[in-house]
Amino acid sequence: MRSATAITPASADPIVAIDGLRKSFGNVEVLRGVDLRVAKGEAVVIVGSSGSGKSTCLRCINRLEEPTAGTIRVGGEEVTGAKVDLNLLRRRIGMVFQGINLYPHKTALGNVTLALRKVAGLGKAESEQKARQHLELVGLAHKADSYPAQLSGGQQQRVGIARAMALEPQVMLFDEPTSALDPELVGEVLNVMVRTKEMGMTMIVVTHEMHFARDVADRVVFMDHGAVLAEGTPEDILVSPQHQRIRDFVTRSRA
Amino acid sequence: MDQIVRYFFDFSLMSAYWPDILRGFLITIEMSILTVLIGVPLGLAIAILRLYGFKPLNALIILYIDFFRSIPQLVLIMLAYFALPSFGLMLGPFTATVLALAIVLSAFSEEIFWAGINAVAKGQWEAGRSTGLGFNQTLVHIILPQVVRISIPPLTNRAIGISKGTTLGSVVAVPELLNVTSSIQSNVANPTALTVGALLFLALFLPFVRFTRWLERAYAHPRS
Ligand SMILES: Nc1ncnc2c1ncn2[C@@H]1O[C@H](COP(=O)(O)OP(=O)(O)O)[C@@H](O)[C@H]1O
Ligand SMILES: [Mg+2]
Repeated sequence: MRSATAITPASADPIVAIDGLRKSFGNVEVLRGVDLRVAKGEAVVIVGSSGSGKSTCLRCINRLEEPTAGTIRVGGEEVTGAKVDLNLLRRRIGMVFQGINLYPHKTALGNVTLALRKVAGLGKAESEQKARQHLELVGLAHKADSYPAQLSGGQQQRVGIARAMALEPQVMLFDEPTSALDPELVGEVLNVMVRTKEMGMTMIVVTHEMHFARDVADRVVFMDHGAVLAEGTPEDILVSPQHQRIRDFVTRSRA
Repeated sequence: MDQIVRYFFDFSLMSAYWPDILRGFLITIEMSILTVLIGVPLGLAIAILRLYGFKPLNALIILYIDFFRSIPQLVLIMLAYFALPSFGLMLGPFTATVLALAIVLSAFSEEIFWAGINAVAKGQWEAGRSTGLGFNQTLVHIILPQVVRISIPPLTNRAIGISKGTTLGSVVAVPELLNVTSSIQSNVANPTALTVGALLFLALFLPFVRFTRWLERAYAHPRS
C-alpha cells in the first residue's frame, strides 16, 4: 500500500511545513522545537508516549492551540501570525478528534452540511448532495438521517471523517481517532482512513494502532518530550529502531 | 357539604363582577407574558455577553445577577414604583411590576444559561471552529441549541415561579387577578371570588406548564 518513494525530501513542495515549533502552557514547555515536512498525498503517522506533545503539535497546525514560537506553513502560506484569517485557514485543514465531537442535535447529514452551508456558502440542495456523497464514501449513506446517539462509536467517527472531508481540505489531521472506540469498532474507522489515503489525501495521523502505522504510513515520526526524536520509514522506526526509547515504546505497544 | 358549596362555590354572587374578574385575569396574563418575554431573552443576552469575557463587564454582570437574585421581589417592585420617581423615572404600577419581575427573571435565567453554556463540552467548540465556523456561528448553530435544550426544565420552573409574582403587583395597586378577586371577596363577604381566582390561575399556568413539557420533548434529541 505504501508508495515507492516513501521518504519525501524536505525540499519537495510540502503541504505542511513546520519549523522550530515551540509551545508552552504557562512555564511548562511541551513542544521544544518541532520540525516536520509533509508532502502532498503523504500519510505521516506520529507516535510517541502519552504526554510527548503529539496532540499539541496537531492542534497548533490549525491553531486550536496558539504556537509560542516557530513557523507553520500550510499549502505554502504562513498560518502563524496575527493577520491570518483563522476561519479561512481552518477550512483548508480537516480535523478528526479522539472525542469525535459530533453535534448531538444534528443528524449525520446535518453534521456534514453545517460547515458546507455556513463556511463554504453552498445552498441547501448543493450542500446536502455533497454531504451525501461524503457519507457514501465512509459507508454511511443509509444513516444520513440518524442522530449521533443512534450511531455506534465507529459510525460516529466515520461521520466525523465525512464532516471534515466534505470541505475538501488540503490536509487531514487525525488525533487518535480510534482511541475512544471499542476494539471491535476500530477496524471500520481505520478502513475509512486507508480509503482516504488512497484518494490522495494528505494526512497527519496520531495513533497507537501500530498495524496502521506499519501498513499505511509513508513515514513515521517518533515524538519524545516535545521534539521529534526520529523519523523514517515504518520499518526504520517501528521494526528496527535505533533509539532505546523507541525500542521500549515499540515493545510496550506490542504488549 | 352544602355549606362548603355555598361558601366557596356560590357563583351567582359573581354575576356583577365578571367584567372586573376578566379584566384582572387579562392583566395577569399580560404581565406574566411580558415578564417572560423580557426576562428570558435578557438573561440569554447577558449570558452571551459574559461569554465574550470582558473582565470589567463580567464583574458588573456578576454583581447584577447576584443582587437581583438576592433581593425579594416585593421589595424590588416597591422600589421600582416608589423610589425610581425620585431619580426622575416615573413608572406606572403595571410597568413597575413587570420591570421588577423581568429583571429578577433575567438574573436567574442568566445563571441557568451560563451553566448550560459551560455544560456543553469544549470539544463542540473545537469541532465547529476546526471546520472554519467563526465564534458567533459556532455559538449560534452548535452551542446555543444544546444550551437551550438543557436549560428548558430549570428555566420553566423559574419562569413560572417568578410569573406568579405578578400577584405582588397588588401592593402597588395593579388591578391584577388576585387583587380584583380579593377585593370582591371582601365586598360580598364570600370567598367564592378567590375560588374563581384560583381556577383562573390554574387555567393560565397549567397550559404553560404543559407547553414547556412539550418544548422539552421537542428539543430532546432522540436516543437510540
Ligand atoms: N491546555 C493545556 N494546558 C496545560 N497543559 C497542557 C494543555 N494541553 C496539553 N498540556 C500538557 O502538554 C503535554 C503534552 O500534551 P499532549 O500534546 O496532549 O500530548 P500527547 O497528545 O502526546 O499525549 C502534557 O504534559 C499535557 O499535560
Ligand atoms: Mg494526545
